[in-house]
Amino acid sequence: MTDDDRSALDAFSLADGIFAAAFSASPTPMVVTDARQPDNPIVWANTAFVALTGYGLDELRGHNCRMLQGPDSDPAEIRRIGGAIAAARTIECELFNYRKDGTPFWNAMTIAPVRDASGELAYFFAAQADMTDKRRFEMAMRGTNDELERQVDARTADLQSALEQKTALLHEVDHRVKNNLQVISSLMLLKARRTPEGEARDALQSMAERVGALSTAHRMLYSAGDVSRFNLQDFAADLLADLSVGLEEDRTRLESEVDPIAVSAAMAAPLALMIHELATNAVRHAFPGGRAGRISVTARRDGEALHLVIEDDGVGMSATGTNPAGFGRSLAEMVVRQLRGTIRWDDASPGTRVDISVPLESGI
Amino acid sequence: MTVAPAMRILVVEDEVLIALELEYLLQDLGYETVGVAGSSAEAIALGRSTSPDVALVDIHLVDGPTGVDVARALSADPRTTVVFMTANSKRIPEDFAGAFGVIAKPYSERVVASALTYVAERRAGAGPGAAPDGLSLAPNA
Repeated sequence: MTDDDRSALDAFSLADGIFAAAFSASPTPMVVTDARQPDNPIVWANTAFVALTGYGLDELRGHNCRMLQGPDSDPAEIRRIGGAIAAARTIECELFNYRKDGTPFWNAMTIAPVRDASGELAYFFAAQADMTDKRRFEMAMRGTNDELERQVDARTADLQSALEQKTALLHEVDHRVKNNLQVISSLMLLKARRTPEGEARDALQSMAERVGALSTAHRMLYSAGDVSRFNLQDFAADLLADLSVGLEEDRTRLESEVDPIAVSAAMAAPLALMIHELATNAVRHAFPGGRAGRISVTARRDGEALHLVIEDDGVGMSATGTNPAGFGRSLAEMVVRQLRGTIRWDDASPGTRVDISVPLESGI
Repeated sequence: MTVAPAMRILVVEDEVLIALELEYLLQDLGYETVGVAGSSAEAIALGRSTSPDVALVDIHLVDGPTGVDVARALSADPRTTVVFMTANSKRIPEDFAGAFGVIAKPYSERVVASALTYVAERRAGAGPGAAPDGLSLAPNA
């Protein structure tokens, strides 16, 4: 230590005495630079600072602190420190610095100006800390978080794509089913056109109509957006409109009173088929020989059951002899059995009344 | 009473059975089918050469979901009213590609009949009353 240095440190009470002893022994690395000498050189450093940097006291003294900087020291942070020094402001900062042996460390420090008795800037005092472990921990945490986020993103993308695939598949299947129903219906109608008038032709026509009823159910099931529910009211309106084509309105009246009942998708096709059979039977067979009359379809929810009544004031079952409505009737009975319901046929004199009750949530 | 000439209709449908049956149905209803096309190129060419009053256009054709392009091309001719006929309404763009409306498959003969009657009335200048059921109109129709 030169005499100049000593006098400087005397002013700072660092050369001797209680402060010097305390600072020298402090586990916190500390350094003092002389603001009045050119380039602000180090004039004092404690043992902890020597241990932190790996430089001996002799190697440090007389040099500016930038001797610790290296290729990866952040220039912006260095500029910030330079600004604070020039303005004699206190600054807290963290810099990637290098030890004598070249190993880098995160050097946190607080640099404070020290003024002499006259208030003039004399020294800078800096307390240091090695933040390398903390930094490493932060980096590791950030890495872990990034990895977790990446994994969550990847899974979400997988699920999203699986959902999109499922939706696309549903649309495709829906489209195929509808198109095939149209093809089947066209096929039967084409064959009917080429079949001479008579029983065979009627059978083909009836089959095409049954397919039509199933088509209506299918169309409504998927167009409503909810593929698991089916509105019986909409279906009945559509079906009866199809049925009324070709009826002379002043001769045969079709009436319906169907509540907006949601039925499960599994019930849609059987119910559609059954209502179609019964209503068609009435239209075909209840009013022979130009007889006038009325057909009504009523459906309402009765607790947990769907209560359906199809009624006409035509000639009645007994009058139809060998029962030309036989196939439609057994079809209706089969469907009711499938739906675990009950069906009752009554001669309503005049006409026929069919009473059907099926459980709505039969778990089919 | 004057009888308007029957509407001339172009059928754009790749499923031959559906197309053939539809042709018969149109004949039963008193319309004239001017052609049947199964691909987009065929449809656009037939549209140019026949200038139909109405084109019934399926979305899925031999060359893919090209019915939308067909609708756009055919509706460019102000003489032609395009109506989609499809089981795949979800593919119709928001502006309906210039089409007037859509008939959902599977359709019934009644729906086709009432839809075409409605189209004929609108083409003859009738106001936009309620569309018959089975025919969904484009937003600007």
